[in-house]
Amino acid sequence: MEFKKKTLPNGLTIIGEMNKSAKTAAIGFFVKTGSRDETPQISGVSHFLEHMMFKGTEKLSAFDVNNAFDRTGASFNAGTGWETTTYYAAILPEYLGDIQNLWSDLMRPALREDDFNLEKNVIKEEIAMYKDMPDFDVLDRCQKLYFGDHPCGNSVLGTEQSIDDLKVQQMRDYFTMRYSPNNMTLAVVGNFDWQQVCDIAQAKCGQWQNQKVERKVTDTRGSGKKERIEKPNLHHEHICLISPAVSAESRRRFAASLLSTIVGDVVGSRFYWQLIDNALADSASMQYGPMDGVGVFYSTFNCNPEQTGKVMDVVNRIFADLKEKGISTEEMQTAKNKILSELVIHNEIPKGRLHSFGGNWVYLGQYRSIEDEIRDIKSVTVDEIVSLIKDYSPQEYTQFSIGPAK
Amino acid sequence: MAEKLNKHVLKNGMVILAEPIEAVGSAAFNFMLPAGASRLPDGCCGAANIIEDWIFRGAGKRDNVQLSNAMDNLGLHRTSSVSSSQLNIGAVMEADNLADALELYGDVINQPHLEDSQFAPARQSCIESIRGLEDDPRSKVMLKVRQQFYPSPLGRSTVGDMEELKSLTPEKTRQIVKEHFDLSQAILSIAGKYDFKKIVQQVEKLFAGRQTKPQPLPKQGASGQKYTHIHNDGAQVHIGLMTKTVRPVDKDYYNAQLAVSVLSGGMSARLFTEVREKRGLCYAIGANYHALKEAAGIGCYAGTNPDSAQKTLDVIITEFNRLKEGISEEEMNRAKVGLKSSLIMSSESSGSRAGGIGGDWYMLGKVRPIDEIKDQIEKTTTKSVLDFLNRNKFQEFTIVTIGPKKVNV
Repeated sequence: MEFKKKTLPNGLTIIGEMNKSAKTAAIGFFVKTGSRDETPQISGVSHFLEHMMFKGTEKLSAFDVNNAFDRTGASFNAGTGWETTTYYAAILPEYLGDIQNLWSDLMRPALREDDFNLEKNVIKEEIAMYKDMPDFDVLDRCQKLYFGDHPCGNSVLGTEQSIDDLKVQQMRDYFTMRYSPNNMTLAVVGNFDWQQVCDIAQAKCGQWQNQKVERKVTDTRGSGKKERIEKPNLHHEHICLISPAVSAESRRRFAASLLSTIVGDVVGSRFYWQLIDNALADSASMQYGPMDGVGVFYSTFNCNPEQTGKVMDVVNRIFADLKEKGISTEEMQTAKNKILSELVIHNEIPKGRLHSFGGNWVYLGQYRSIEDEIRDIKSVTVDEIVSLIKDYSPQEYTQFSIGPAK
Repeated sequence: MAEKLNKHVLKNGMVILAEPIEAVGSAAFNFMLPAGASRLPDGCCGAANIIEDWIFRGAGKRDNVQLSNAMDNLGLHRTSSVSSSQLNIGAVMEADNLADALELYGDVINQPHLEDSQFAPARQSCIESIRGLEDDPRSKVMLKVRQQFYPSPLGRSTVGDMEELKSLTPEKTRQIVKEHFDLSQAILSIAGKYDFKKIVQQVEKLFAGRQTKPQPLPKQGASGQKYTHIHNDGAQVHIGLMTKTVRPVDKDYYNAQLAVSVLSGGMSARLFTEVREKRGLCYAIGANYHALKEAAGIGCYAGTNPDSAQKTLDVIITEFNRLKEGISEEEMNRAKVGLKSSLIMSSESSGSRAGGIGGDWYMLGKVRPIDEIKDQIEKTTTKSVLDFLNRNKFQEFTIVTIGPKKVNV
């Protein structure tokens, strides 16, 4: 693996991790913008804009774009979150140049009003789709309840109303502000020619204009509120708990990641043995959610409504035990084995590697090899995890539940 | 491409297949056991799902907790699934741990404890999964449409039937394990980094001593009804649809695959363009090829608001039927490139390649080298696809909808 980096005069950073023995390459634009960068008046614009980026440029129609992607056989997509918007493709090396040219063109879209109005329907269908996915819905609502007025509580999708109200000019203004080259990273991994990547970037992106880009970063420990809503068509109780954790930039993030594996990995964790093995719940997991300047633990459960009381008793006991008794060396070692193996397997294919490679750059502004990650996970001690539990007890949770009528 | 298949057949009939992947440090394996939903006796729908859970609750010299810890300590990413024909169990791991992992799975297959005390939680967890499916209409609609489309019992639910699950006992389920963990029809497939000689020695030791006899294949009955509506006061109408096509052994297999790719291979394909891009009717829309050994179909899913459901279905059916009228060379080229590149990308991952070679062996009795598949895709022409579509017109559609509103079919 060889790391490469270049910054264009307008601030666009290009990074590469070369693996000549890979059969494919993966490329992506990482834009440091998401729903946390929106005001209430433009709620949902980051995600809607991500859809609109595929609608073409002054020279390309939406169909031309889809056609151009499919001609290369690329496996491509885009995703919008609270903090980043990512456009990526996995591709056979011979088509990499075509795809880089195409993505670069699309990063300066036409944002036509006709396309904008038609796409509103698709966005509203997507909002409706997620309403029929209670596990997603509960997380989205709990995020809002936990963060309150903190921008990380902003909904990625927005609401039907906010999408209806959105004007194309508001989207164009948001685009100009956020898709500034100094707020974007172009990342390439796998089998590629670095010089060609740089030449295309210079030719296609070199003239993009810079803006002053800002993001307000503040920490929060959440509202601590508990709410429940009923949906008569549901059969299970869907529960989400969010508690505070360290941010993506923190040195303690490795300990946080190990803690969530010990408590809530899908197999072999404390949740697993006390909730899944005995079939008290249908699913139970805990995940660490590192964010820019703030962090959380998500614990999610899905169970028969009659078991909700018992499930929450068990969860509260697990959280209390952590605080009182800490964790064992064996638990930590098992969690390390799981995370290290996942890390190696996930990153051995360019498509998998791209996201952690680009993500690390966006959040930390530094290159981290797989070896760096392995070393840092291995070095975590029991004391560090215990001290993390002391400072960020999962007991300090905000809770949202969705279930059938009681 | 330099891939080379390793193959070995044990005396009891169990097949071991392996294919190396350069540039990876992982290995993946998958056992296909002939204990899928449709292979089990009538009245036992869901037994395969209980077994999928129960066999891991203690095996060989390890109890439930010890076995799970042993797997976690090897960093195994466990995979398991119940299909119409098979119970699949396997894992992806760092290559150095392959031998230790196979040892554990040898215990799981040969000496699962299947204790009475572990039966109740295994069954309860299957019951909760069925209940959970009610809150996931998108998955439920495709499961239901396969149930209606395939001749019984081929389309039998791969999640289980609530009433039949509740009636199963530990004795009955243990009997099913005994009869259906038939090694003469089992396939072990491996991909990634491995030493085949060592694997063969180990697998001989683990499995060769066990002789089993195959169970008779189930008799095929009739398919279900053509239209089923399940009322649910959700936000969308979820539409699942299937129509008959040729099986993987058929000479027209590649024509069928390319036809599906023209319909739904990418964002420029027919369904995405007509339903989403031009009309804005849906967010999620797509079709795929779905095959069992005995029968195959093209499946399609769309989720849309209740007022657009009828129009969405009408456009989908129009697009299926319009396909035979003409395909441009450009569409065909995109379909070919799309199929070829997804093939190469899936061959990079040890997990998906292990599944792929096992699936090929089961369906075709051979493993198609990647280059052979590429050649076959290359050789397929617009004319051959159109001829195929005209010889095999889409005559009937099996449709299931879940949501607040019915459609007219």
